[in-house]
Amino acid sequence: MSAMDPTEVFRQEASELFEVLEGALLDLGQRPDDRELVDSAFRALHTITGSGAMFGFDKVASFTHEFETAFDRVRKGEIRPTQELISVALAAKDYIRALIENPQSTDDIIGEAILDDLKRFVSSDQSAAAVVEVAGAPPLAPVESKQAGWHLHLEFESHILRNGSNPLDLLEDLCKLGPCFVVPITDGVPFLDEMEPEDCYLKWDVKLHAACDKDAIDDVFMFVSDEMKLTLSPLEHVEVPAPAPPLQLLDEDPIAAAEMPAPVVEAVAVPVVEQPVAKAQSQSKTNVEVKAEPKPEPKAEAKRDERGIATVRVQAERLDELMDRVGELVIAQARLSQLAASGSDLSIKMIAEGIERRASSLRDTTMGARMGTVGSRFGRFRRLIHDLSRDLSKPVEFVTSGEDTELDKTMIECLADPLVHLIRNAIDHGIEDTATRAANGKTEQGRIELAAVHSGAQVLVTVKDNGGGLNTARIRAKAEEQGLIAAGAVLTDHEIHQFLFHPGFSTAQTISALSGRGVGMDVVKRTIENMRGTIDLSTRPGQGTTVTLRLPLTLAIIEGLLIRVGEGRYIIPLSAVEECVELTAEDERSRGRNFLNVRGNLVPFLRLREIMSSTGLPDRHQKTIIISTGETRVGLVVDQIIGNHQTVIKSLSKLHSDVTIFSGATILGDGTAALILDVAQLVALAQSKVEKQHISEAA
Amino acid sequence: MTEALAAEHQVDAMQVVMIGLGEEKFALDAGLVREIIDPVPVTKVAGARSFVPSVINVRGNVIPLADLRIRFGMPQLEDSADTRIVVIEIELDNEPVLVGVTADKVYEVTEISQTAVQQTPRVGMHWKPEFIRFIAKWREEFVIVPNMERILN
Repeated sequence: MSAMDPTEVFRQEASELFEVLEGALLDLGQRPDDRELVDSAFRALHTITGSGAMFGFDKVASFTHEFETAFDRVRKGEIRPTQELISVALAAKDYIRALIENPQSTDDIIGEAILDDLKRFVSSDQSAAAVVEVAGAPPLAPVESKQAGWHLHLEFESHILRNGSNPLDLLEDLCKLGPCFVVPITDGVPFLDEMEPEDCYLKWDVKLHAACDKDAIDDVFMFVSDEMKLTLSPLEHVEVPAPAPPLQLLDEDPIAAAEMPAPVVEAVAVPVVEQPVAKAQSQSKTNVEVKAEPKPEPKAEAKRDERGIATVRVQAERLDELMDRVGELVIAQARLSQLAASGSDLSIKMIAEGIERRASSLRDTTMGARMGTVGSRFGRFRRLIHDLSRDLSKPVEFVTSGEDTELDKTMIECLADPLVHLIRNAIDHGIEDTATRAANGKTEQGRIELAAVHSGAQVLVTVKDNGGGLNTARIRAKAEEQGLIAAGAVLTDHEIHQFLFHPGFSTAQTISALSGRGVGMDVVKRTIENMRGTIDLSTRPGQGTTVTLRLPLTLAIIEGLLIRVGEGRYIIPLSAVEECVELTAEDERSRGRNFLNVRGNLVPFLRLREIMSSTGLPDRHQKTIIISTGETRVGLVVDQIIGNHQTVIKSLSKLHSDVTIFSGATILGDGTAALILDVAQLVALAQSKVEKQHISEAA
Repeated sequence: MTEALAAEHQVDAMQVVMIGLGEEKFALDAGLVREIIDPVPVTKVAGARSFVPSVINVRGNVIPLADLRIRFGMPQLEDSADTRIVVIEIELDNEPVLVGVTADKVYEVTEISQTAVQQTPRVGMHWKPEFIRFIAKWREEFVIVPNMERILN
């Protein structure tokens, strides 16, 4: 329970900012004129620079600062964010991420190359910049505009330096908005023996000759606005010396900057940074040009970005622990309820009911705390698609919906890999190349939809492409070749598609550019099934493929149906149960035929007594529980149906990882453990039996 | 605390929990032992490997119950008044795992001397040598210090 490592805090924060940055950059590729996006990217960059420096990630801070400087021109609307520029910016973002997460593996050369690229884009784009300036309102054409500039009076609180903010940096930022004339006011400086070395005594008067709006100035002081007094008044008459060309200014070219009249006194005692202190001693109270210093100083903003909603960062383990405790409470409560129900004491029954209500609301709240929105992960897929569509030269439009859908955070994490597989498949194998698409009368641009939606106690995540669809005949041919089915066996298309999930089915030689699909599909299936989810696959030739992942809302607690088989009690997840029917004497007798007739449909069934190798005599009236996953229905024959059970899921240990028919265990009211049946595995088991029967019939 | 103690004595002595399985005495490293409980109702796991046939509920956690007697080819005695479950924590694939071990009897927590370690004889033993860390001498008796990670993997 120790305090978190501040570096770790920064890493976490940075990774969130990266997502914001990446999302904004990618969106910018689609909507290059959206100012909001540029600003949000810029804010993220700015915060990374600031906190990077604060936590001692100097490389990160200096690189990001350069990045920021280059990107600043985009923000000012001088250059348009082209696709190329965005690609470089994404590379730069990846580099910063590497600097933070794995500094050893990065190389300065890469960083320099990226920066060079960035600068090249930013500066080579003069023509484009000129176009923009002619077309739109040029933000940096100060001389002729009505608003000649601003007169600023800056007063910082004396403790500002202790929070890590450096007024000189802020002034430097201010100078970037346009030519500044900065005059320090030294009235407040006390005698030397009264001087607190860590206090700031100076005030500044700044004449900013730029027609920027008030917001731009506020932005500069965004992080210190609480700790300063800023008086703004418009400048009345123009007294600007001919401004240096904005391009040079922004490149922070030392010479150009030196020409600019931006005298700033560095008489502040800044003990944090050695250099200025030295200067302050030697050149105190004289005008010094400070602008010619591209070196980024630590700009440690004390404040985080203020989002509207108050959130608290909690370690995942603590939430898990809380969930465990709540789980134990629910178990204890179930015991109490059982006891109360069997007794006749009314007051105890009332207490038991009260506790039951509170326990269940506590459970819901705790589970809610574990929920996150699926959209938090969608961002990274946009990057994947962006890269893939470039590499494969297949233009793809990526549409997402249902980003707000909530799902257990652990599951969101687990979902990432399967979705990467599915999306990669969709682009690589699903979407045809442009020529084929054109030949089939489709739009040149492919379309991939990623959607999440709530459906009962499940969340459906779908990946849909409008590509060529699955090649059923070819899959069938491969399945026959591998001996998975007998030649000529009667199978539905749906059944044939299931072979895609067969481990080893998608090996290199079975996959060609023609057949497609199946890369890592068995991995996808395993991962989803580990989350107690299922996969549905539907395809229409020439129109595309839709993969639907059905996931339970949470991993922690489910509604279950408690059943008894022989001596053992088991839980079947209620979400999988369709109905319960009695096994008729006729079904009971015929040992050779494991099919039920459910309202005219043939449903295969499994005798759980056989699977659990139960001893003792079976009950006289066997019951069948019809369960379903996807479109498949299977009956499970049990001795007794006990009833509903709030099931707190405990995972089985590694020692039982070889047992696949159970997905976990729970604790019953009487304190004994009961195993939870893995419905998908049981269905697979039943199907393999059916297939064997098919093959033996066919043979 | 037991871990700290064990570490302290590691130079020449080792803290162990002495348990009886069939006719043999086994010394479990006390650092592994989390608790010793009375027998509880077990739940059979169909299809599990024979030496971890079931799971039990130990204060809200479902943990596997291992039977070392099967690994060492001993007869499984009926539960008696002396039967206990020793809950140990071992590392499996770099993850800590709690496992219950059925003991026909738990004798005491004691120290065995590392210097009294006997080389595992290559002949005259029908147990798999990899299951045994070493054999030590304790009060004129030979006791087996099992290699729990190997036995349970």
